[in-house]
Amino acid sequence: MIRFENASVVYPGGVHALKDLTLEVPDGQMMVIVGLSGAGKSTLIRAINGLVPLTGGDVTIDGVSVRKASPKQLRELRSRIGMIFQTFNLVKRTSVLNNVLMGRLHEAGTLRSLLGWYRGEDVEIAMRSLERVGIVEKAYVRASNLSGGQQQRVGIARALAQDPKIILADEPVASLDPPTSHVVMRDLQRINRELGITTIVNLHFLDLARLYGDRIVGMRNGELVYDGTGAEADENVFRDIYGRSLTADDLMGEAAAAG
Amino acid sequence: MTAGAVSAGQRPAKPRPSIVAPLAVVAFLAITWWAASDELGIGFDVFELLTNLTRGASILAEFVPPDWAFLDRTWAPLLETFQMAVIASVIGCGLALPISFLASRVTSPNAFVYLLDRGILSVVRALPDILYALVFVAALGIGPLPGILALILFNIGVVAKLLSETVDAVDPGPIEAARASGGDRVQTVRWAVLPQVLPNYVAYSLYVFELNIRASAVIGIVGAGGIGNLINEQRRFFNYDNLAVVIVAIFVVVILIELGSLWLRRRLV
Repeated sequence: MIRFENASVVYPGGVHALKDLTLEVPDGQMMVIVGLSGAGKSTLIRAINGLVPLTGGDVTIDGVSVRKASPKQLRELRSRIGMIFQTFNLVKRTSVLNNVLMGRLHEAGTLRSLLGWYRGEDVEIAMRSLERVGIVEKAYVRASNLSGGQQQRVGIARALAQDPKIILADEPVASLDPPTSHVVMRDLQRINRELGITTIVNLHFLDLARLYGDRIVGMRNGELVYDGTGAEADENVFRDIYGRSLTADDLMGEAAAAG
Repeated sequence: MTAGAVSAGQRPAKPRPSIVAPLAVVAFLAITWWAASDELGIGFDVFELLTNLTRGASILAEFVPPDWAFLDRTWAPLLETFQMAVIASVIGCGLALPISFLASRVTSPNAFVYLLDRGILSVVRALPDILYALVFVAALGIGPLPGILALILFNIGVVAKLLSETVDAVDPGPIEAARASGGDRVQTVRWAVLPQVLPNYVAYSLYVFELNIRASAVIGIVGAGGIGNLINEQRRFFNYDNLAVVIVAIFVVVILIELGSLWLRRRLV
């Protein structure tokens, strides 16, 4: 279970990105965070794996404090938290397999990974992760030769290779076209349901959020303004989150959802 | 879109031209005049240069015809130069790799290491290779070893500067991904940064290898081995027809190595 206890983040520039946030995410849940750019969605996600340090309060994962963790403990925590990014964050010049093996760095250890002598079992886990997202045939292809949707699936495979308990996805479909977005979101949903991995996804399309989230959390100016199911999240709720009425720009469009 | 749909903002006034550009041009001209003037500078005169151009003709005439029989004596020192360049490049570029990562803000563990490494590199680059050769020849005696040491320092200076700046500009995305997966600093550099800069590293290494061939012609003149020793020896006895052969030989070797490295770089980058 992930617990935010009065968690706050103030960036060095003075921006208050997370204000006294208290939130619990039970194991196995698929939670979607919605909100405008700058509402604190990315900060919230990065507070969980310590990429953004808290300036107040704490985040605990199964009772272990992220804020008080030593660098070594933090790496240990992170090794069980997969992360998926808007811009995929693959090393484009190297192979798909090498990118997925990045998910095995912590288990492989420094010396072994430095020399690239991954154990057979690490390679096996990487290959199985690629199979799960359906692109194992691209294992030895350079990442730069893949389409955006394929690159994001490599990103998902990299997260899966960590054998994670939690997956954090920061705007995973913001760089993709609508049909590909649905493919990637369905991959995440399937992984959440089949493997029981707690999944937290930032989205800015409301219809996607309602379609894939078991639970929707709305953020505005670093604060929680909604916490409930997708079904309950009506027009009024989104007005609270966005500070204005819903427009077509806030929806990805239903046409592609059928595809 | 009709004109009416655009909000009627006022067009901005054209900003006043900056004073910096004309000042820079004036300063540039003044410094050039100062450097060349008779009173304050070295008294550089283009006409004098042109009228005296023929004075060296009698000496230049001694370069032709080259005494091609001397070619046989250039092979051994040329080979030594080549071997010095290989050894200096391998050691210098090998050491430059970790030094570069410590000298980039992106991969350096902390500000202290970063500034220390940058400082040391500035000192290393401050002296030209021939001065290092002079110092090492004085300390170790005549031969290829002081030459190799001078070239190694020179290589570290060049490669670490170029590579650390390349590391500064890498895509930070993969670094964040490696950190998020629980990777430590060494692993992050190895798998998120190194693949991004590897083609540049190879290109810089080939480049300094070429520079080493050229540089070892010069440092040999102060006794640091290679073809430079031969140049020095022939120059001292005014054997200009032999010197002509050495110059042609160096020219051919340098061009061949440049072509080879160009071909390699095209395939790698």
